[in-house]
Amino acid sequence: MTILLMGHPNVGKSAVFNRLTGANITESNYPGTTVDFTEGYAFIEGEEYKIIDVPGTFSTEPKDEAEKVALDILAEHDDPIVIVVIDSTKVERGLYLAFEVMERGYRVLIDLNMWDDAEKHDLEIDVCQLEKILGVPVVPTVAISGKGISTLVENVPSASRTDIGELREKITNL
Amino acid sequence: MLDPEERWRLIDKLARETVEYGADRSTIGSVLAELTVKPLTGIPFALAVLYGFWGFFDAFAGFFTDGFFVPLFDDHWLPWIQNAFPLKGSWLYYILVGDPEAVNSFEALGMLTSGVFVAIGVVLPAIVAFYLIITILEDSGYMPRLAVLVDTVLHKIGLHGFAVVPMILSLGCNVPGVASTRTLETKKQRFMMMILLSVFIPCGAQLGVMLSLIPEFFGYIMIYLLAGFFVFGWILNRLIPGRSPEIITDVPPLRIPTFKNVSRKLWVKVKGFFTNAIPFVLLGVGLVNLLYLGGVISWLANSLEPLFTGWFGIPKETVAPLIAGFLRKDLAVAQLSAIDMSGFQLITSVVIISIYFPCIATFSMIIKEGRNSGGVIKVLGGSLLTLITVVFLWGGLLHLIGILLGVA
Repeated sequence: MTILLMGHPNVGKSAVFNRLTGANITESNYPGTTVDFTEGYAFIEGEEYKIIDVPGTFSTEPKDEAEKVALDILAEHDDPIVIVVIDSTKVERGLYLAFEVMERGYRVLIDLNMWDDAEKHDLEIDVCQLEKILGVPVVPTVAISGKGISTLVENVPSASRTDIGELREKITNL
Repeated sequence: MLDPEERWRLIDKLARETVEYGADRSTIGSVLAELTVKPLTGIPFALAVLYGFWGFFDAFAGFFTDGFFVPLFDDHWLPWIQNAFPLKGSWLYYILVGDPEAVNSFEALGMLTSGVFVAIGVVLPAIVAFYLIITILEDSGYMPRLAVLVDTVLHKIGLHGFAVVPMILSLGCNVPGVASTRTLETKKQRFMMMILLSVFIPCGAQLGVMLSLIPEFFGYIMIYLLAGFFVFGWILNRLIPGRSPEIITDVPPLRIPTFKNVSRKLWVKVKGFFTNAIPFVLLGVGLVNLLYLGGVISWLANSLEPLFTGWFGIPKETVAPLIAGFLRKDLAVAQLSAIDMSGFQLITSVVIISIYFPCIATFSMIIKEGRNSGGVIKVLGGSLLTLITVVFLWGGLLHLIGILLGVA
């Protein structure tokens, strides 16, 4: 089983990857640190998962070579679980990518990373409601300190597909 | 699939229901973050940052190299191995130990003398100091701010501010520098950047040796190389077809680098240096010595003499370091110390070593990346053509400057 870590540049995908696999790939505070993919392995609930740290991408329309790498990886893998990593202080744009991935029918798990930054900015996100509406697990994390990573791991098996038609209806009726 | 407009409409509504924004407070961090991107305050700040880091590099590398490794190697290791190694006068002695009379480790030219000294004594401290600096630049979130500041300047040569990231990474090592050109949008930008980086940006290892061997000429060499970067960037921008789009980038908040991440990255680099770089340095010394013994070097030196002395104004013996330079630029600069020449010739030689050809590791990276940006043949052909032009023009021009100044 394969897990892809996807998200915008500089949201901490590599930090999550290092946490999940115990690897040592480069984490930096600027967009575009990872330009190639890195693979690692993790045991989750007794099953071995291949985890891929995908270069940052804004949408599923590539605009540079690093984003092309990202989308090739998404297309190449047979029914992967996609962990969409979102910067908690920039939820909307992160959700845009998450929607695109969900619309393509992938099993999705949303990681609201940099949760500490959101707290610092007095940003309140209703995780339960978000989860209920989207129909996929949503987990707050602080990857650089490791906070929330174990919850993220527990939720990997419950990553799920969302029916976009239903989602549209649910949101419109809010 | 939804169309983008509807997707945004849904997300907007969803976010309004689930996300509540608090009042944005300004903190010392956010004020500083703001000041670093405004040109009026940002440019002095950038100069201070670069100067501070440069001072650190100089002090750190100087402390370990001059304060510790030079005495260790020159006073203890070199005399000991010159006497202890058997078979004095044999070819094996020549390759491994080098000159039995040498009194400094730069000039002995054996694998176990100069090779080990350059790798451990000079380049290792430089690598540690440099990566410490680069890691702090990376993790603090300062790099994108620098990108914003230099955006206007780099637009003049068809690049944009973010090209400063490959430039800074290349100052550590050209290989990740070339790889990071992937974040540039067009084939034109990538091609230009790969060439300019591999030709004009000296790597941390080379900087370390330059700093230890010829600190008095360091500034001139860097200015001449950077000038070349911009001159040839300007020319390439006009010659190569393709677009140079504007970019919109996120400037992340400034963060304090964590000790754990900094030390982890540093460790990865140092480990990489031991496994990838040191063997190449030793191999380079061995290869050049073998070629000496085989008479290849003197044959090459004699046949290339008109070019070397006539066009570039440097001694023909420089051919040996240039061969070593295919493997490691740091080693090539170190080997110059054994050749008798004037200060200006030394400056010219270091410039030629920097620009004549990328080291083998960088070259293979260009081939690998070329596949994704217009095809290997096109990229390689273009690179070689540019390279030859640059070496002759920029190298020759320096000689001309020397003649005009009356120093060459």
